[in-house]
Amino acid sequence: MNPLLAFQLRRVGRNKQYLFFTVLLPALFTIFITKIIGGQMGDAAGYDEVAASVMVSMMAYGALGAALGATIRISFDRASGWLRQLRITPVPQTQVFAVDVAVGAILALPSLVVVALVGRFVNGVQLGTGTWAVLVGVLWAGSIAFVALGLLIGLSLEEKAAGGAIGILGTMLAALGGLWWPVEMFPEPMQVLAWFTPSYWYAEMGRDVAAGTAPALLPVVALTAFTAVFAALAVTVARRRPLHAVSG
Amino acid sequence: MTSPPALDITGLTVRYGDTLAVDGLDLTIPSGQTVALLGANGAGKSSVVNAVLGLLNPAAGSVGILGRTPADAVRAGCVGAMLQHGGLPSEARVGEVLDLVRRSFPTRWPLDDLVVTAGIDGLLERSVDALSGGQRQRVLLALALAGAPPLLLLDEPTSAMDVEGRRAFWTTMRGLADAGHTVVFATHHLDEADAVADRVVVVAAGRVVADGSTAQVKARVTGRTISFTAAPDRRLESLPAVTGVARHGGTVTVATTDADATLRALLADGGLPDLEVRGATLEDAVLSLISTGHTHPIGAVR
Repeated sequence: MNPLLAFQLRRVGRNKQYLFFTVLLPALFTIFITKIIGGQMGDAAGYDEVAASVMVSMMAYGALGAALGATIRISFDRASGWLRQLRITPVPQTQVFAVDVAVGAILALPSLVVVALVGRFVNGVQLGTGTWAVLVGVLWAGSIAFVALGLLIGLSLEEKAAGGAIGILGTMLAALGGLWWPVEMFPEPMQVLAWFTPSYWYAEMGRDVAAGTAPALLPVVALTAFTAVFAALAVTVARRRPLHAVSG
Repeated sequence: MTSPPALDITGLTVRYGDTLAVDGLDLTIPSGQTVALLGANGAGKSSVVNAVLGLLNPAAGSVGILGRTPADAVRAGCVGAMLQHGGLPSEARVGEVLDLVRRSFPTRWPLDDLVVTAGIDGLLERSVDALSGGQRQRVLLALALAGAPPLLLLDEPTSAMDVEGRRAFWTTMRGLADAGHTVVFATHHLDEADAVADRVVVVAAGRVVADGSTAQVKARVTGRTISFTAAPDRRLESLPAVTGVARHGGTVTVATTDADATLRALLADGGLPDLEVRGATLEDAVLSLISTGHTHPIGAVR
């Protein structure tokens, strides 16, 4: 494995918060929300629908939280001077950037898998073997949108603001994007707001797959557009903000 | 064909907005020299270091490291640096960071020797977050040395060290020079330049104002300063042995090469309220070097 990638993964692995917020919390939510809302459904079909929908939402919530958490941390490395230090070693800058993208993507996977396992074995969600694989695959691929967003935020904000943004951004994207309760339960203007969040389209993609169809074109195009914009802005910020610090 | 110099800076100019930090600086350092970049805070030393490493884009001028551009030299592992604001990653052990950096260089300083040279014995298993200021500084030095690069660039390497740590560090740097490394370090301590460097380059207002052996530069700066309270219209520049005059409110500081002669003239000229005479600090020396209007650097340019 690339030494820098191994190094970065080891660092994140030491962070216990990551495990709690991006794996354990979504898994617990999956169980509770399904029990509460699904339990109110009169029939088994209604319960099954809720169970699948909640599971997809929580997979999306966990993955986007993990992707954001792993990447916004680049702000800490900038503040500590570590990015500057790396810059004066022979490690190419493109590799430093690529490794952060890879770390964000890799960390999104455990949340997806654990929540899917909870959905299947605790809540009894029934999908075909192929559908499970496609569901995890599609949501994993889509998590790149939040890797790009996290890098953009992490490169743009100062250390303290970035630290706050990790929690706030994940919560806002989940709430407005309809991951904690269905968008249909929102008042009309809020439903429109959801269309402007990448998290909404991300979960829509997953719901299409869970329903046994291929993702519709609109969610895919919308999420791709968000990713492209976030990535382009992140690259621009990375080029613009100097890494030097001068006091003498 | 002669090999290119370790460092070749031509007409380097660095601006931050309207502020001119480095003003057309020229400096050539042959391989194997140990050079102190001496100057007060804000003199432009760090800007020079950052420009040499390619961390900032100069407004004008060029930098060559062993005949390469800064970016190429860094990629090729030709240069190791200790930055004033370099940092270590959180949630990592010292040994892991050192290993990562060592492996990125084409050549590697043997680990056992590196640990002894940088003075980080017993720290490899330590978490970076648990290091003291002086220990961090030594770990950063170890990172600069990790690839045994031909050119070492150290920006105020001893700023977070106590006296003992500083002396140990000087010994290390002399050892590096003896081993054939080109060492360039920025400092604002004259004694540090004196203890380590075989060439001193004094930087003020982004220009080289003196360049020579330590003995040559020291001879320039062993003047004294006389401070007292004086009316703003009192003429002082033409007094005997005066090399510079600075005014801060009512207080006047006069740099002189012959305190005796200057004092005699001052007394003949009127009173000297709040008189204070002291050996010149580096700031005073640099002040005198600028205000006497040297257009050519003193000392032998090598």
